[in-house]
Amino acid sequence: MAELTLDAVTKVFQEGDGSEVVAVDDVNIDIGDGEFLVLVGPSGCGKSTTLRMIAGLETISSGEIRLGGSRLNEKQPAERDIAMVFQSYALYPHMTVRQNMSFGLEESTDLDDDTIRETVTDAATTMGIENLLDRKPGELSGGQQQRVALGRAIVRDPEVFLMDEPLSNLDAKLRAGMRTEIQRLQEDLDVTTVYVTHDQTEAMTMGDRIAVLDDGELMQVGSPLELYHRPANQFVAGFIGDPSMNFFDVSHEGGTLVGDGFEYPLSSDVASDLGETTDCVLGVRPEDVSLVESATDAHDFRTTVEVVEPMGNENNVYLSFGDEPSDEEPDQRFVATVGGLRRVERDSTVVARIPEDSVHLFDAATGDALHNRVLEEDVETQATIN
Amino acid sequence: MSQQVATEGTTDETDRETGLLGGYGLRRVVLYAILLAMGVFYLVPIETGVMTAFTDPASYTGRAPFLPPLEPLVANSGEFSIQPWQNAVSGLSQGLLNSMILVIPATVLSGLLGSMAAYGLTNVHWRGQLAIYMLFVAGIFIPYQAVLVPLTQFWYNVVPLRTMFEPVGMALPIIEPYHWKLVALIVTHVAYGLPICTLLFRAHYKKLSDEMLEAARLDGASVTRIYRRIVLPLSIPMFAVVFIYQFTQIWNDLLFALTIVQFGDAAVVTQELVGIGVSQSGTNFPLRMAAALVAALPTLVVYVFFGDKFARGVAA
Amino acid sequence: MRNPLSIIRRRWSDSDDVRTDGGTAAERTPFLQRESVRSAPFWLPPFLLVALFVYGAILWNIVLSLTDFTGLGEPDYTNLDFENYVVAFTGGTPSWSDLSVEPIWNSLGNTVALMVGFTVFCLVLGLLLAILVDQEIRFENTFRTVYLLPMSLSFVVTAKFWLYMYNVETGLVNIVITSLGFGPVEIVQNPDLKLAAVAFALVWQFSGYAMIVYLAGLRAIPTSHFEAARVDGASTYRLYRRVVLPQLRTATVSALVVLTVFALKAFDFLFSMYSGYQPGPSADILATRMVREAYANSNWAYGSAIAVVLFVMALFIVAPYIYSQYRRGAL
Repeated sequence: MAELTLDAVTKVFQEGDGSEVVAVDDVNIDIGDGEFLVLVGPSGCGKSTTLRMIAGLETISSGEIRLGGSRLNEKQPAERDIAMVFQSYALYPHMTVRQNMSFGLEESTDLDDDTIRETVTDAATTMGIENLLDRKPGELSGGQQQRVALGRAIVRDPEVFLMDEPLSNLDAKLRAGMRTEIQRLQEDLDVTTVYVTHDQTEAMTMGDRIAVLDDGELMQVGSPLELYHRPANQFVAGFIGDPSMNFFDVSHEGGTLVGDGFEYPLSSDVASDLGETTDCVLGVRPEDVSLVESATDAHDFRTTVEVVEPMGNENNVYLSFGDEPSDEEPDQRFVATVGGLRRVERDSTVVARIPEDSVHLFDAATGDALHNRVLEEDVETQATIN
Repeated sequence: MSQQVATEGTTDETDRETGLLGGYGLRRVVLYAILLAMGVFYLVPIETGVMTAFTDPASYTGRAPFLPPLEPLVANSGEFSIQPWQNAVSGLSQGLLNSMILVIPATVLSGLLGSMAAYGLTNVHWRGQLAIYMLFVAGIFIPYQAVLVPLTQFWYNVVPLRTMFEPVGMALPIIEPYHWKLVALIVTHVAYGLPICTLLFRAHYKKLSDEMLEAARLDGASVTRIYRRIVLPLSIPMFAVVFIYQFTQIWNDLLFALTIVQFGDAAVVTQELVGIGVSQSGTNFPLRMAAALVAALPTLVVYVFFGDKFARGVAA
Repeated sequence: MRNPLSIIRRRWSDSDDVRTDGGTAAERTPFLQRESVRSAPFWLPPFLLVALFVYGAILWNIVLSLTDFTGLGEPDYTNLDFENYVVAFTGGTPSWSDLSVEPIWNSLGNTVALMVGFTVFCLVLGLLLAILVDQEIRFENTFRTVYLLPMSLSFVVTAKFWLYMYNVETGLVNIVITSLGFGPVEIVQNPDLKLAAVAFALVWQFSGYAMIVYLAGLRAIPTSHFEAARVDGASTYRLYRRVVLPQLRTATVSALVVLTVFALKAFDFLFSMYSGYQPGPSADILATRMVREAYANSNWAYGSAIAVVLFVMALFIVAPYIYSQYRRGAL
């Protein structure tokens, strides 16, 4: 079956001056048959290189890629039984849509012309482009070209789909539509899929599982909720979620976190998670910060509103510790997401509550998560089962 | 102060540009006058040539070479005649034929090989291809004098096409023994035309999308199939540019012909043109101009019809 | 948290371009599956042709220049020496001849004079034309076509036209000069004028080329630069002097290199103008001298030596150009 395994996969580029650059560093991922895996990370993190190694467009410096148990490393791209959808669609501009879709079948199979014709027409119908078969790519809109590119991939009936930021050339509205369409298509065909994107929203909404890469290293693999609520390290915590998690540099002094302008007492359970670590990073998601009437708890802080970003359904409120508005750039600014109907004035003083059961704590030196937030039962099970 | 003037100038110009007449300010008039004068400068040698070529050599005085030959309507302008053209064509006919035999295969071959070389050095990625390509590029700028003596040695002593051709020349009706010289000239022109052809094609192939060629690889096409089914069809516009450039270059060449063909049956049109119209009794300018125009006609026609492509070729 | 190496790594990877080795590095791939080998049917035959005819011939030419090869027969490669170069630069009677041989200084000087004069005038005229054509004029295509027209002609044809233009009795140039009261002047055979006349005719033929290159350069300058300078209040002159010219450096260099090489090749023109190998001392350039020595006098080895001098001159102009192109990543 089509389980795809990345086993200690590493890619080293030789620079012109003889030095080496590690683009992908010891990545291990098991992708189950029919699974939709999203590879996500900032630009240049090695996600496209990883995808291209699976495709055979890039050599594997060390490690092994296996498909259904058999080693792919030395196989030519065409022998790997994979199909790839490129960011630029990569359609052949001088061929009609039909010729574009037939090309792979003509080059890599012994099918006769009639069978090819039939297969292409079927795939085109699936994609809803059967009326475009005689047009050339130049006469199509971006969304239509995208469909042709997908059609060209499914017509080959491959074991694995590889998609390299296929939606990034579409406008926002079309992108949302195509997102669901690709998901539906993948579910219907039940083909193992690796999808590369730099957009964490795409990753969260589309993937069965997400693999986060940074600087060539695999940060974490897991379900979207797992990554959101149980990030393995500060990078994942900051990368997943929009607006990003707030981070505060703090030092742990006898059960209390001392930050720049605030102190945050910890319960003994949480403090014990920190162990001997003294330099930590406190993280809290903007939606977990609430604005309350008055300070009643050690986790409530008097803050000044710096900026308010109304988003309609909610407001992003940028806060700084202390109750005096100041002209200086605050050292520490953090975001709270509050309901859109709530009025918050700039320069006003508000009380921000940072509940202890929603905080994350990371080792400042390594970035590793030392403590993750407390979850309610049902979310907890969902996050761990996946 | 100067700032103000400049700003006013700009607004004036914009107004004029948008005006109904589209700009007849003094600056524009001077501009067009200069442009026209330069046009006259570039055309007048050719124009005098054409007018003189239609003049009867007997009535040719050279008083007003730029006027059409309208005697007796216009005094001293010479009588109209197409005799210079007839003489030019018959004088150059062998050369025209030889040039055609030379230029067509040489152009096609250098274009095709140049396209293949550019593909192998651009769209298939491997280490060291840039070094090979630089050797191609440097070849564009070689002064041909630096290879003439070895070339002559090569074609006369090392690869004796002459002896190889003798039996063929006897056996076949159309092939003449002297054609070996043209074959040598074709191979030479292909070899020295390859660098520029490769450069022109490479500039085009660098713009082809890498992702598209990778898609073709994933589709199972081999290096050869990708060339035939994707790259070649997409280079047709570039072939037009390259063919036009090479046609002009090879048709216009004198140096290689002079040193490889030397004189005789296989002389090409540029060689024959050098000596035409000169005799003991003086220079026959009508014949000479007609001959120059006949020799230039193929490239002029190509230029007039495909000027934009020619410009793209030379600008690269 | 992040080591310096990873910051460097991030820097190169900031660009969205995915770097690639095409999926085949040399090390572990079987020989026949390497991309260099798979693509060899495409690049190898053309490369062999170029290697043999261009580079093989140049090397052979250098060896030939060290022999005493003259007249008919085959060169003798047993006694190689630099005599031809000594003769080329100092004159005297070489061992392979009974007559004394002129050094090449005269033709070398003419070559440099022609090269410099021709390229400078071509560039200046080309730039002016390009600026004029760039003024959003009507019939731009027609003007461009006309200006570039002479470029499609061969040196031989150009020479014939200008031989006629310059003719002392019937040429248009002389008719104009006479009507201005300066009397007919012998140009083509006049030692003081012939080199300038050759250069002028070549400027006529190739200034259109310089115009095309400059026009492409001008069009590549973003409109915003012109507008910004206008807003800053720059006059037209200052606009071109301070904003436009500096951005035309690449265009100038590439036009300069190509025109210089054209000038080195002006042999065809002189051969046609003077109907043979003898343009006379005041218009003799290295290119004609070389062909004359080899093909008219059969002093093959000596001709090869002159060719090497010519080749070295070209190398001095072209090598830095190709190197800079390589550095810019333009190859």
